Amino acid sequence: MTAMSTTTRPGAASPPKAGKTSGGGPRRRRRSLPNGLPWILPALIVSVGLLYYSIGYTGYISTLKWDGTSPNPESVGLDNYGLLFTDPIFWTALRNTVLFFLVTFGVQTALGVFCAVLLHSRIRLAVVYRVLIFLPVVLAPAIMAPVFRQIYAAGGQFNDVLGFLGLGFLAQPWLAQSSTALPVLMAITIWQWTGLNFILYFAAMGQIDSEILEAARIDGASNWRILVSIIWPGVRGTTIALAMLSAIGALKTFDIPYLVTLGGPNFATEFLGTFIYRESIPLAHVGYAGAISIMLLLLAIVMAFIFGRRRNSEER
Amino acid sequence: MFEIRTRRAKIVLQIVMTLIVIPFVFPLWVMVQGSLSGQGWENYAIVLAVPELPQFFLNSILVAAATIAIVYVCSMLAAFGFSKLRVRGKEIYFWMLILALTLPEVVLLTPLFATTSSLGLFNTPWAVILPIAALQIPFAVLIARNFVDGIPDELFDAARLDGASTFSGFRYIVVPLTRPIVAAIFVLTFIAAWNNYLLPLVFLQDLSSQTLTLLPQFFVGRFSDDQTKVLASAVISALPVIIAYLSLQRLFERGLAAGALK
Repeated sequence: MTAMSTTTRPGAASPPKAGKTSGGGPRRRRRSLPNGLPWILPALIVSVGLLYYSIGYTGYISTLKWDGTSPNPESVGLDNYGLLFTDPIFWTALRNTVLFFLVTFGVQTALGVFCAVLLHSRIRLAVVYRVLIFLPVVLAPAIMAPVFRQIYAAGGQFNDVLGFLGLGFLAQPWLAQSSTALPVLMAITIWQWTGLNFILYFAAMGQIDSEILEAARIDGASNWRILVSIIWPGVRGTTIALAMLSAIGALKTFDIPYLVTLGGPNFATEFLGTFIYRESIPLAHVGYAGAISIMLLLLAIVMAFIFGRRRNSEER
Repeated sequence: MFEIRTRRAKIVLQIVMTLIVIPFVFPLWVMVQGSLSGQGWENYAIVLAVPELPQFFLNSILVAAATIAIVYVCSMLAAFGFSKLRVRGKEIYFWMLILALTLPEVVLLTPLFATTSSLGLFNTPWAVILPIAALQIPFAVLIARNFVDGIPDELFDAARLDGASTFSGFRYIVVPLTRPIVAAIFVLTFIAAWNNYLLPLVFLQDLSSQTLTLLPQFFVGRFSDDQTKVLASAVISALPVIIAYLSLQRLFERGLAAGALK
């Protein structure tokens, strides 16, 4: 809102209210504008209304011992939260979420940066590579789950490939063991989301000033040096955004563990999402599921806050 | 980025890139190959002959279309209101929306389960459409508002001076000028609605109301252990999105990239 806009504003159109304010131009201009509340109302009703109602309701349910259908639930105060903190499955789910985030984010970042750099280096068939890496992003995990269940089965294609590479001794039932089920889910997630990291890094690298790159090259900097000292710092903003996205994504994880391993074996691939689902729908521990939901929500907000601050300080 | 001087380095990089891409293609190859083993193309004929299949498709289209329509209307109106009109306590409302950005949908499960059953919305597409729309609107409003902020105020002042109503300003300035950002909102919402699994899983128990993402599980039940049919059904469900992406490649990439940079 510049001074220009106030001079072009027709004084006659302003309602009497505007005369009362002795403030500056922009303020008077705003006063003369039509009321916008009806315009933002639909979005507020559908989104804020539904979501905040749900959160409030979840908060209330989390103080109940309830199966979701019985007419008179029993109020138990904060007992569900007490129960939650002593529940080993909750801690397993949290541990899995953290591990999951660290590994998927690390690998996706490395792969994304590497592919973006290569495809910026006048490689042939760049569009083909780009499409093939990005394609998994648009495919539903639910649709791909049966494929991955088959690939990582004891007699599946992954073991075939290992055998073909002369690594047959490594063949094992990947999804049936606690030690390997989580890494398989990480691999599936990396398969799915690397394309997004790649596209974002690719775009961010396009913004790096080519003169700086040329100057560095004239000074004799190697490709590796340029990657570490110019490209990587140049895409920092993207990295932080992606870290936040991966963290929230790890907290939200549901489809893949539910459909590929059902959280097993022995809770080795339990996440907060699958935990909430099992407690609320099949087990009908609705109150307890509410308490887990509130914890998940708090974690998501804390995460967004941490990364948001990080990014703001970066922009300053 | 990298400067590749020698022919040898060029070939090495080409090979490295190809090796990286193989694991990305491998699952798709397994899917197609598996769907064609056993009875070959017959698998597809059998899957396509299942009478419920068209219904799954129609339901997915309905859910995606309705979600996109709701998100589009709500976010455009709100973006205009937030950006160009007078709203008391505007930023408070805006932050209430923004806070919902990180909300995991699984948190909605318990309250929506109780609410949909008491409102009789269980097994209706609304039980899925409304939550997805609610989750998509905050981000759509955020990027649309940023975009509308870039439209000069003078344009609206001039229109008002010429006697145009607020709605005309919206209809003839905001709607045509926001096309690039609308494309991103469409793509994001489409993917979110089309690929959603959890909400249909919980709220659409009735076979006639289910969406495509539930199809592979449906076929696991229908054809018990016949994996080839299950994979054929997975290919059939994946095909519409693959075609959409290949024909609108840049649009999809830009749209989903915009969604990542909240």
